[in-house]
Amino acid sequence: MVRKNVLLVDDDPVFVEAVSAVLETRYEVRTAANGTEALAQITAVRPDLIVLDVMMDHLSEGFDVARTLRSDPETAAIPIVMLTAVDQVYNVRMEVEESWVPCERYLEKPVPPETLLATIAELIG
Amino acid sequence: VSNKLSSNDLLRVFAAELPERALWFVRLRWVAGAALLVFAGVVPTLGMPVEWRRAWIVAVLVFAYNTVLHWLTRRLTRAREVGYQQLARCILLQTITDLAALLFLIHLTGGATSPFVPFVVFHMVIGTIILSARTMAVVGAGVWVVAAGLFLGTYGTAGHPFIPVEMRFGILAVLAWLLAGTIYLTDTVATRFRSRGAQLFQLNEQMRAKQTELEALLAEMRSAERRKSHFMLLSAHQLRSPLATVKTGLEALHDGYVDPSSPRSARLISGAIERVDGLLATVNELLELAKLREGAKQAPWVPDVNLAQLVVDVADALTPIAEARGIALESGYDTGVVLDRGVPPDLVYAIENIVHNALKYSYPGGTVHVQVRRDATFGVIEVRDHGIGVPAEFLPDLFVEFIRAPNAKRHASEGTGLGLAIVREVVEAHGGRVEVESQVGEGSAFRLVLPIHGGARART
Repeated sequence: MVRKNVLLVDDDPVFVEAVSAVLETRYEVRTAANGTEALAQITAVRPDLIVLDVMMDHLSEGFDVARTLRSDPETAAIPIVMLTAVDQVYNVRMEVEESWVPCERYLEKPVPPETLLATIAELIG
Repeated sequence: VSNKLSSNDLLRVFAAELPERALWFVRLRWVAGAALLVFAGVVPTLGMPVEWRRAWIVAVLVFAYNTVLHWLTRRLTRAREVGYQQLARCILLQTITDLAALLFLIHLTGGATSPFVPFVVFHMVIGTIILSARTMAVVGAGVWVVAAGLFLGTYGTAGHPFIPVEMRFGILAVLAWLLAGTIYLTDTVATRFRSRGAQLFQLNEQMRAKQTELEALLAEMRSAERRKSHFMLLSAHQLRSPLATVKTGLEALHDGYVDPSSPRSARLISGAIERVDGLLATVNELLELAKLREGAKQAPWVPDVNLAQLVVDVADALTPIAEARGIALESGYDTGVVLDRGVPPDLVYAIENIVHNALKYSYPGGTVHVQVRRDATFGVIEVRDHGIGVPAEFLPDLFVEFIRAPNAKRHASEGTGLGLAIVREVVEAHGGRVEVESQVGEGSAFRLVLPIHGGARART
């Protein structure tokens, strides 16, 4: 059976290394360190799912990437798991109040490996 | 609210209203002309002298000169800068033309016995309100002279009924009183209204200024609130993010996702140590900052702090780093730049931070200049680099905790984002200020400006 593609986007290389180790047990994993890299990766190889950090170079870089993807019919259907290190309350107050950022799941870091795998499995098997 | 109004205030009030009034007169005159035509039409049926039908001539005249006035007034009111003097002259012209037409109409409709005589009063009232009593006194005198000529010179002709000579003088005397009285009474009342109006105008202006002030204050408060939550968000992120990385790495190892003997395992462990080190640095600097802010630090204030000496010490300490990065560290000193008092370890920390930043954000092969000079009553430490620079939109927040520009993060991943906040705190504790100039791709210049005398900031 062909393994599904997951794109992991985060600006911390150590975090990327750790999460890659977890995801590689079930999926083909590609990585990107910021929003621009992520969009380039998605154009090159369309992933089956994206694990996306919110705060990278900019406060809401992950949200911006998600909005860009959802506005393009080509990529609108790719499921997104949003990760953030910061209390959701702040994100809700800072960003989501104005326009809800569409994502399938919203998880707070640190996410236990089994939880992350289970969440992804729920979305793409 | 002061009751005294300058003539300037009054002028502004009326200047604001003049264009509307001038146009209103033009519109009113079209109605007056039409009414005159109607009058000329119904004269025979009302049993008035047939000669009065000549009122139509005046109607035609009114239409003719109102066309010109209409054009003139429009042109004046549409000008970008409406001149008060020009408009006032335009209204005076309208008043005089109207009075001339009215006198002609009176002449055509029975002279002293004309039903239109009361309209003279009407014109004098309006003229006094809008122009001035003095102007209207002159105009009124003119009206009286023309009226005298008409009343004395013609009788029994042009539809004027015969009036005995002594009665004509009586009528002229009453007319003089009527004109003068109208101007005087109108002016008395109008002045009172004008000053009330001007007071209201002034009050309104003051209220508007207050409103603008309040709105600015509110916007400032909102922006402060936003910055505060922005700061909370950033600080939470800076503290939680490395912790999350460490925990995820440890869990990946612990749960057997990574082979303990693999290079990946080694990378994860050294990466976790790196994150913990970063976290420690962040926590230490946060504590330092808190202590500086609280004034809780038992600051060893000492007299006679030689800035050049401090900079030499910092330059010596940082030379190995500069050499490792292939950057030339150049310095120049004015001698005798000595602060009356200061906290040397804090100042060293601040200078070190700025110089270290300059080295960190320079390109290999670049040069960093450090200069100490005296500028009037200030000691200035200037650090100049030709590095990556700070994007303009980050300059205002550069000294805010945890703020790091994206180009800084890309150029050097390590950094707590707290260094410059501490620098500012130290410099302000010495009564000084930090100045920064920067251009992306060109480099930056940071200046610590410290007062030579009596530097310590008052603590409350």
